[in-house]
Amino acid sequence: VFTTIPSAIVVGVDGHRVSVEVHLGNGLPGLTIVGLPDASCREARDRVRAAVVAAGVTWPNRRLTVNLAPSSTRKIGSGLDLAIAVGVMVTSGAIDPEQVRGIGFVGEVGLDGTVRPVPGILPLVDAMDCDEVVVAVASATDAELVDGPKVRAVANLGELRLALRGEAPWPDHPRPVASPPEVRRADLREVRGQALARRALEISAAGAHHLLMIGPPGAGKTMLASRIAGLLPDLDREVAMEVSRIHSAAGQTLAGGLIRRPQFRAPHHTATMASLVGGGTEAVRPGELSLAHGGVLFLDELAEFGPSVLDALRQPLEEGVVRVSRARFSSTMPARVLLVAAMNPCPCGEAGEPGRCRCPDGALARYHRRLSGPLVDRFDLRIDVARPDPEELLGGPTGEDTDAVVARVVRARQRAEARGVVANAHLRGGSLERWAPMEPGASALLAEALEAGRLSARGLDRVRRVALTIADLADHDGPLGAAQVAAALGLRAEVRLGMGAVA
Amino acid sequence: MTAPVNDRTDRACLVAFACLDGIGPATLAALVEHGAVSDAWERLESGRASSVPALAAVGRRVDGTETLEGLTAHARQLDPLTVLERHDDHGIDVLIDGDPAFPSRLAGDPSPIPLLFASGRLAAAEQVLVAIVGTRNATRLGCDTAGELALALARRGIGVVSGLALGIDGAAHRAMIEVQGGVADVGPPVGVVAAGLDLTYPRRHQGLQRQVGEQGLLLSEVPLGVAPSRWRFPARNRVIAALARAVIVVESPSSGGSMLTAGEALARDVPVLAVPGHPATPNAAGPLDLIADGAVALRDVEDVLVAIGRGGQALAVPDLAGPGPLDATPGPLGRAVLEALGVRPRTLGQLVTGLDRTLEEVASELVALESAGLVARSGGWFEATAHGARPLP
Repeated sequence: VFTTIPSAIVVGVDGHRVSVEVHLGNGLPGLTIVGLPDASCREARDRVRAAVVAAGVTWPNRRLTVNLAPSSTRKIGSGLDLAIAVGVMVTSGAIDPEQVRGIGFVGEVGLDGTVRPVPGILPLVDAMDCDEVVVAVASATDAELVDGPKVRAVANLGELRLALRGEAPWPDHPRPVASPPEVRRADLREVRGQALARRALEISAAGAHHLLMIGPPGAGKTMLASRIAGLLPDLDREVAMEVSRIHSAAGQTLAGGLIRRPQFRAPHHTATMASLVGGGTEAVRPGELSLAHGGVLFLDELAEFGPSVLDALRQPLEEGVVRVSRARFSSTMPARVLLVAAMNPCPCGEAGEPGRCRCPDGALARYHRRLSGPLVDRFDLRIDVARPDPEELLGGPTGEDTDAVVARVVRARQRAEARGVVANAHLRGGSLERWAPMEPGASALLAEALEAGRLSARGLDRVRRVALTIADLADHDGPLGAAQVAAALGLRAEVRLGMGAVA
Repeated sequence: MTAPVNDRTDRACLVAFACLDGIGPATLAALVEHGAVSDAWERLESGRASSVPALAAVGRRVDGTETLEGLTAHARQLDPLTVLERHDDHGIDVLIDGDPAFPSRLAGDPSPIPLLFASGRLAAAEQVLVAIVGTRNATRLGCDTAGELALALARRGIGVVSGLALGIDGAAHRAMIEVQGGVADVGPPVGVVAAGLDLTYPRRHQGLQRQVGEQGLLLSEVPLGVAPSRWRFPARNRVIAALARAVIVVESPSSGGSMLTAGEALARDVPVLAVPGHPATPNAAGPLDLIADGAVALRDVEDVLVAIGRGGQALAVPDLAGPGPLDATPGPLGRAVLEALGVRPRTLGQLVTGLDRTLEEVASELVALESAGLVARSGGWFEATAHGARPLP
């Protein structure tokens, strides 16, 4: 007797359809699972046996073979439990094969027959591509976010069996309605002073320009950074779906709805490479870079991150995807983030201002060796943030609130869309001639900066993109003016590696 | 002046002694005074160091026999004559106090300077020299000032001695290197370093150190191949102070190497001049302390000439360093920017807030001032150059 039940597994952030083939034949009684199951998957044997018996089905006293096809991909985790259990019930005659036709199953089973949720329900349901799917009660809300299949939520195998046999209606468990936690949005209005940094945040959000803030402790870098996600417009449906799948694959419940707001992820500087870019030896999991997809990845104390961890960011920042390759598999995960970083200029924190740092030379050199030039080069905007004056903190006027800035950001992004990109930072170098022509005064300025060595050839295009964003924010049409290019140059400070740039 | 050491073996042994950890100028001087340096070396090699009074003192200083055993072990790895030949091969002059070529200002110095290694024109040490010293972490204005002073002195035939460190020291010498070629009778650069002359510390100044050696003179108390230990730097400063007719401190925090150099100068009755700065800047603390203690406040190079007894000479040469500012006359905003930068460096953000202008306006003005040579950018900070800090017409 043979049956095939559709199910799925997650690799990285993508679901992969898996056909669970169950064969009941002659031989010594027992259950064998083949098709590259890992340890947690092979344990399904014992869980399924107890669960099926708990559901009131007599365990067949013959040889059961379960094949997980395609057998070349490694199967990890317990999400295939439910499909295996159903397959066993079908082959042993407890359920008619016709009654499971076209239904996909995903979930873990307990020894008492309970059906439990598994991470990644969104990509899993998507990958099964069935008209009807059966999941655990806790997974139902997330599963329904996928267009198409009818979602059935069951609490245990017993009630699943009755429902499939038509002896009872599908159970109508109350769906867990966890409204998304109302995160208090940090408003830009609460930032006093720091006119330039506010401006940099706005330009960064509008053009998706990576931003590096350098300043002494207490200058407000972290406070500024935490406000930038609020400046980004809502995600469109396609990106929202990608982001939701990523978060689902990382084991988060989406709590009632696609993730519509850009995420703000701020991993601590002790983060490992796997936790930042994703990976792992057995199961590939999305890293912070993917979890921040469509939103902001904030790296506070940039120079404290491991140098190899930081260098691993370079390729994803350029391509917008993370490619994780292991001996047995590889995985591609979306990772288009706005990178915002903050760092002290040196261990004592004062090196920014010429003549103020008192760090020993060696300590400075060690500190700066942690940052590679190519990574620093990815930051279109690099500003020094000084501690605000006390008057500014106490009596200064409050600035614009986030909503006012968002309105300008949205307009600027609309102008970028007309150029065929989401934001100006994604414009290709070759298309700048077309989209960002310059007045003679502006190009003369850039030529001079290049000649004087104040600007590298690599930096040229980046300055131009930033200038374009500045122009967009001001609703400026026509060629870029010298003022906009000067401002873009001003916002791109060379990161001084070590003291004594002059001598 | 001590008795000259003429025997080649004795000279070689003295150089070999200088290679050993824990043996400084005082011990070397004691060895020379005691005479028979090669005999002391033999005793050290054969493990009888404690029978040499000067070496026994080293053992007592740093607790006992272990040190002497370490010295002996180290000494056994060295062959004095090979060490000396190595210096000859590199074209390094080995100068021992008492040699005819030994710099006269260093002979018989209160803190003994028994042994020097030199590369370059020895005659430079006999010329009138002025020391320009200051902090490694200098501002652009400080470096410009050091460079201008060095240049102004060099054009009057006065040499400049400094420590080839980052910041002020390097800026002074760098300015001189540029003027050396072609012009006759300019003062030579003299660099006193704390490492062996085949090493460079800081590494960034490798090129500069080589040029100073080619156009002037490099001096060190340390044999070839010996890396600088911490105590070598203040020791180096006393050589600078002893060589100079006057010591100029351009920028320094209230403690640090430059202040030690000033102290060494005072101990030798060498006049100290300090470039006053704004009290709000940390690098002005050192010079202001010195002025409060009676140092001369340096206004221009004439003050230096007066201090070394050469005042009142006609100025045959232009006073400015490098090309003057382009024919830029800053507008009102430019003047406001320069005024704000006159006190201390500012970030772009501080300028935008302080002047209450837009980013575009301030950034455009800064670009203009920068190309006019009035403002320099250092990372995200802007500083006035020496031209920009001068009162505008």
